Amino acid sequence: MGGPGLLWHNPERRLAAPGWQQLPSFGDGLDSPMDSAQNGIKIKVRNLHFYYGKEAALHDISLDVATSMVTAFIGPSGCGKSTLLRTFNRMYELYPDQRAEGEVWLDDRNVLLPGEDLYRLRSRIGMVFQKPTPFPMSIHENVAFGIRLYERMPKAELDDRVEEALRQVALWDEVSGKLHQSGMSLSGGQQQRLCMARAVALKPEVLLLDEPASALDPISTLKIEELIYELKQNYTIVIVTHNMQQAARVSDYTAFMYLGRVVEFGDTNKIFTNPSMKQTEDYITGRYG
Amino acid sequence: MSRPFKPSRIARRRLVSGVSWVLSGAAFLLVAVPLLDILYTVLKKGFSALSPTLFTEVTNGISGGLLNAITGTLVLVTGALVIAVPVGVLAGIHLSEFGRGAFGRAVRFLDDVLTGVPSIVLGYFSYVTLVIGVGWQFSVVAGSITLAMMVVPYIARFTEIAFSQVPNNLREAGYALGLREFTVITRIAMPLALPGILTGVLLAIAISLGETAPLIYTAGWSNFLWSGRLVHEPIGYLTYVIWSFINQPYRSAHALAFAAAFLVIVLVLLTNIAATWLLRRTRPARPAP
Repeated sequence: MGGPGLLWHNPERRLAAPGWQQLPSFGDGLDSPMDSAQNGIKIKVRNLHFYYGKEAALHDISLDVATSMVTAFIGPSGCGKSTLLRTFNRMYELYPDQRAEGEVWLDDRNVLLPGEDLYRLRSRIGMVFQKPTPFPMSIHENVAFGIRLYERMPKAELDDRVEEALRQVALWDEVSGKLHQSGMSLSGGQQQRLCMARAVALKPEVLLLDEPASALDPISTLKIEELIYELKQNYTIVIVTHNMQQAARVSDYTAFMYLGRVVEFGDTNKIFTNPSMKQTEDYITGRYG
Repeated sequence: MSRPFKPSRIARRRLVSGVSWVLSGAAFLLVAVPLLDILYTVLKKGFSALSPTLFTEVTNGISGGLLNAITGTLVLVTGALVIAVPVGVLAGIHLSEFGRGAFGRAVRFLDDVLTGVPSIVLGYFSYVTLVIGVGWQFSVVAGSITLAMMVVPYIARFTEIAFSQVPNNLREAGYALGLREFTVITRIAMPLALPGILTGVLLAIAISLGETAPLIYTAGWSNFLWSGRLVHEPIGYLTYVIWSFINQPYRSAHALAFAAAFLVIVLVLLTNIAATWLLRRTRPARPAP
């Protein structure tokens, strides 16, 4: 096999992906798995290494995230899936000892370059975390707060935007009568949908979901998954999950990671029905992990 | 083979539980009895001086009212807060949010040292530097600055603790939305830290109300009402009456001293009640666990 950890290999299909020609050159043996889709590529990761202090957590990751598709990162705890996700919006910058090397292209910008405007970047990439994180303010304000940072608009229009976002995450009917109550008074599942509303209200291009349902009950989880399915029409979604059934249900592409490397990346159906690596098969059949 | 509900084990647990109850009860009494005793003694001995004239007349030698001392105490405490709250809160925010390096450690260490400096040393220090050195003489400014020096470490430490208890994932959620540090601190962390900060301010008020030694050297004493001059004018305060009048061989002086002690205790109690009420009204709901 070619590049470490990247196992699809089909040079002919490379040209099928729109915008592929604009890719920077990179090592042989690397190809896009999502060429069968008619979508372009939203995020290109090339030769990404990541360090917590001196300890390497990601080794030479290269993969592509398709536009308007759901890409899932699965793998056992500590394999680097969240770490990889957090390089896309450079969340790791908050911690001085964390460092990324390599390239992460969002459309035609390498966002890892030093000059990148992080505030702008994060307005283009929304993120939802494992634990619901409503801000200590009203439900309405939780959503309006972010919008107001980037756009000025009359109150009526702002209210419309808030309603639109809350409807998008199917929360409107549950909270429309109590918009001025604290966002923290909602149930866990509602809080998580409020956080998703907050993210989509900014109309980002990409949504990063870091185990968005792992702290929720089955019904709330189902709602979140339905939501992901709805949202992917407008957003490119990357989801980290250690729930394999969830990855199988919601994603179009799946990357299986292990010990900081991408072991296998491809069409979700293929990964779950006919994985080409023994490690992947062992993991999805529950032999370890 | 151990059974979970072995009778002897239950008996042992009952015994341990019973002993613990007795010990906690004894500890409570140890704290509560002295306080009740102080309140009783002060009230009993100061009762004869507790009259409306206490609040309407100024001190006249060793008799008269305490209006000058009551207003003086309020002026000095307010002055101390005006200086100490901004400095302490900002220092606490700095320590919590940016204080991981050597500078933060140094500030934290000095903060602890300052807490341990005896108040009379601070008083003498201010006497040498402010009262004599700068030439402010006994005055409101010298007294308030000295009180502020005493309470800044408490406010800073309470603020730091309050901010460090704000869940980090809330901050991350703010940054992921593209918020700037200032917004994350003021809009997300501050509301959650507010109860802790208020607790620190409350402690600062209680300490300032009860301090004597630093004020003897800096505020002096005055039988007259404060005219509004910040420097070159001594000012009265309740703790001076307690400290000084108790040594006078006159019944009226003793009564006045106990009345002043009673007022200080009542003021501290009122501060506590006000803060509790305030906290209950401002405390936002906590995030779901």
